[in-house]
Amino acid sequence: MKKSKIIFATYISCVLAAMYLYGCKPTQAITDKSGATLWSENCQRCHNLPPPTMYNDDQWKTILTHMQVRANITREEATKITEFLQNGN
Amino acid sequence: MKRNIKLLASVACILICSGMATKKANAQNFFQGQTKLTIVGNAQVDYIGDRSQSQFGNLAFKPIFLVNLSDKLFLESELEVATGAEGVEVVLEYVNMVYFANRYLTLHAGRFLPKFGAYRGRFGEAYLQRFANSPVGFGDGGIGSMIETGLGLQGGAQVGNAKINYDFYVTNGPQLLTGSPEEAGQFEYEAYASNNKKKSVGGRFGFLPFSNSSLELGYSFQYKGRTGDELTAYEKTPFTAQAFDLNYYKTLEAIKSQIRVIGEYKMLNVGRQAYDDGTGTAFTFDNKSTAYYIQGSIRPAEVTSEFLRYLEFAVRYSEFNTPQGALWFADGKHVRTQTAIGINYWYRWNGVLKMSYQKQDGVEGFYAQLVYGF
Repeated sequence: MKKSKIIFATYISCVLAAMYLYGCKPTQAITDKSGATLWSENCQRCHNLPPPTMYNDDQWKTILTHMQVRANITREEATKITEFLQNGN
Repeated sequence: MKRNIKLLASVACILICSGMATKKANAQNFFQGQTKLTIVGNAQVDYIGDRSQSQFGNLAFKPIFLVNLSDKLFLESELEVATGAEGVEVVLEYVNMVYFANRYLTLHAGRFLPKFGAYRGRFGEAYLQRFANSPVGFGDGGIGSMIETGLGLQGGAQVGNAKINYDFYVTNGPQLLTGSPEEAGQFEYEAYASNNKKKSVGGRFGFLPFSNSSLELGYSFQYKGRTGDELTAYEKTPFTAQAFDLNYYKTLEAIKSQIRVIGEYKMLNVGRQAYDDGTGTAFTFDNKSTAYYIQGSIRPAEVTSEFLRYLEFAVRYSEFNTPQGALWFADGKHVRTQTAIGINYWYRWNGVLKMSYQKQDGVEGFYAQLVYGF
């Protein structure tokens, strides 16, 4: 049990250290990123880029919700990417 | 007969749902409501040729049902209809009920993809994976679960120029196998029911240090204090696992190509136990395992040639170190290695033909896989 506590403490420490080192507030450059940029950067972390014409507006909303769960992308990223794909289909 | 009825019911369900999603007139009405259903997924078929076999197989159809019930409620579920040695099987891969509490916290419950490491929960999917099969130690019989049943919380946040994400869960967890000498000390990871009252806890912390999200580093852990069947001598066998994963992606303009490096290292430490060797004699071993893989791929996606830009070249090395003294493999070896080199042709963003030459434990083979994503 002692070992598991150490592991858990390490896990929490990683989260807190990362937040402390980088500050909690996103920089202006990050908040200014367009949906197209976020689409290119985030989707390709795991798979090829799907064309916007692949799905309709409702489907994109559902798929990006799925990606929030599956790939842990942030809500802001999901919202911007959804809007970009909906405008491009 | 019962299996056939289940199969027919599942296929009927898929056809009905597919019809709902594609029939334009109905879809118009359907999508006007608050509930939004989308079906994605893939179909795949494999070919394996080596000195002992030459066969097409592992045919699978994997629809994923995504349902937006409201802005806060979401449901995702994957079925797998696949051929195996005993015929066609229908498996509930996962069903995950999700509640978005706020922008940093998401709660979920059900049967969900593992959050331990990155391969099994993410990169193992056929349209993400660059090879037809898994690295050694990462497929069936490897370290860590293929699926978890329980509840969890997760989220992601931008912190400065970097990003973090986290997962934390409580699940039924792994169950120690003791029934036969060949499986003694291994685990059942996909059981539908728990074998004792203890639950496993685990989580993953992901860190993306660069502002363009090109690099992700992950650390995972999982712990369960009691993994054996309740009221047996094996009940109090502890399970401790840790994993480190990385994923790096970049477009190199100089060579007009996209490169990707992914890898994972997993460690498993299980409490020592005495098992029956089948003749009534007890045997024991230090039950510690490790597994890792490292994979690199390059795709000249920015070149002018349409044929070349859909090609991808990949290499992978993996190793699975199992405990000395365990009887898990008939050949008595406790180190499994695999080297693979492959060429893929991406005819669609989620459709690929994979071909690879592999050498696993000294046996050479040709592996191919065709994947249709939808």
